[in-house]
Amino acid sequence: MTKQSDLTVDGDLVRALAALLEETGLSEIEYAQGDRRIRVVRNAPTVPAVTVSMPSPNAASGAPVAEAELAGAVKAPMVGTAYLAPQPGAPRFVNVGDHVREGQPLLVIEAMKVMNQIQAPRTGHVKEILVADGTPVEFGQVLMVLE
Amino acid sequence: MFDKVLIANRGEIALRIHRACREMGIRTVAVHSTADANAMHVRLADESVCIGPPSARESYLNVPAILSAAAITGADAIHPGLGFLAENAEFAQIVGEHDLVFIGPSPEHIRLMGDKVVAKRTARELGIPVVPGGEAVTELDHARQEADRVGYPILVKAAAGGGGRGMRMARNRGELDTVFSIAQAEAQTFFGNGALYLERFLAKPRHIEVQILGDGQGSVVHLGARDCSLQRKHQKLLEETPSPGLNASERQRICDLAAATMRKFGYKSAGTLEFLHQDGEFFFIEMNTRLQVEHPISEMVTGIDIVREQIRIAAGAPLGYSQGDIVFSGHAIECRINAEHPDTFAPSPGTIQRYHAPGGMGVRIDSALYQGYTVPPHYDSLVAKLIVHGSTRNECLMRLRRALEEFVVSGIETTIPLHQKIMASDAFINGDYDIGWFERTFDRTS
Repeated sequence: MTKQSDLTVDGDLVRALAALLEETGLSEIEYAQGDRRIRVVRNAPTVPAVTVSMPSPNAASGAPVAEAELAGAVKAPMVGTAYLAPQPGAPRFVNVGDHVREGQPLLVIEAMKVMNQIQAPRTGHVKEILVADGTPVEFGQVLMVLE
Repeated sequence: MFDKVLIANRGEIALRIHRACREMGIRTVAVHSTADANAMHVRLADESVCIGPPSARESYLNVPAILSAAAITGADAIHPGLGFLAENAEFAQIVGEHDLVFIGPSPEHIRLMGDKVVAKRTARELGIPVVPGGEAVTELDHARQEADRVGYPILVKAAAGGGGRGMRMARNRGELDTVFSIAQAEAQTFFGNGALYLERFLAKPRHIEVQILGDGQGSVVHLGARDCSLQRKHQKLLEETPSPGLNASERQRICDLAAATMRKFGYKSAGTLEFLHQDGEFFFIEMNTRLQVEHPISEMVTGIDIVREQIRIAAGAPLGYSQGDIVFSGHAIECRINAEHPDTFAPSPGTIQRYHAPGGMGVRIDSALYQGYTVPPHYDSLVAKLIVHGSTRNECLMRLRRALEEFVVSGIETTIPLHQKIMASDAFINGDYDIGWFERTFDRTS
């Protein structure tokens, strides 16, 4: 396979292990050969390199890290309460699958009794809505994903 | 008592406040910037809310975001910590107007003591001796007149300033002409207000400050005097109590005076009156209407949890004890450990590789560091406070030396080696240092 001293990542090996994870439903596989070892973990939580056991992230933390890196993520520019419709009982601004134009309102965030419209940063389709109506949101929280 | 307190700060002080809350059964809300998402207190708090990007202006100084976070989490009270909005009277006022309790003094007292010229006038009226100086000046001609009246050498200070920032010295009129406009520009930049005032420059004073606690219901006590003369560029490096430069009667005198005037003033919450001491005389320079970084040394010698008292007082509880109930025991010293190169003081943010804190009898570490934590570059460089207590000053020195030996922080530079050098110097061992001593002895960059 690879030489003892070779430091490059063996992509084929990683892919094979990842496929094994999928196939078997396992969440972690560790493979060692000689003094080389590789560990593949599925859906790893963001664990810090700390030896003390820490309480897990709390209620207002928001969406998983992976989603925030998505190019189409619409993030909250402020702290407040997210509403998906202009007023209670009214139809939502957008639904999953809708086509949106740049600048089109997607939701509002209410802070200190002031409603702030959050607009689509560009034209696209609503792929996911990640907040429920009337829930608190924090700065940087991913609210929706466009594609 | 409060059900939930929002901590509007970061770093080791936010952790300090969280700890006091948890010990009182109070739930905590940690507001933080994106740069502090992995901070120790954020992980430990019951709830956290990200309020903005790294810049302080858009996060820790962002009043609407902080109030919004309080609203969505249902917090009852806000503890502002120190720095940031802690001495912002408008913030204290707005918090009150939103049916939240600001854990600190009244907006009025913050305002009075926040303007350093007004503070000195207030102190004088209350009977406290002040450093000879003048009223606020905005024109060079006026400044020249004031300087002639007060006498050179003169210190030019920002009226809206404090914390040792925005000060310049002038030995004669020529130098005054030079520094005046620079000082004005700096004051405008740092504090948003270019007004200056002049003060007589004292050559070799010690910095002595008195910790005060008032309940706003008539009771005020002092928790002793701290000596904070070990400074570099007006920033404290190390503090100790009691002061090796004062005898018992001088200590008694200044502490009693501070408490008596704060009683007259009707002060509520924690506060510190700062003095310069030279040739047997005390001169008031300013009052900080907030918790201070070095509060732990007063806690060690009195056994009183100052943050807990702030919270109790803010919730409406009376002090419940008088000056006579407070027992002062032993000696305490705090070393401020910064993420800086120990010789050049160049900032050293980065990821902590190895971390091992000292322990043992009489050793306390107030720090939010942990192995794997990344110290962000956006904020001040204080990363840990090493506090030791001993029954005598000598015991403290031995303990401090021992604790510094054990302290391991790798991955960033820290000022631990600098403190070890200070421990080894005769002047410090003898307690014989004034506010200029450190720079004269150690600082190659000054």
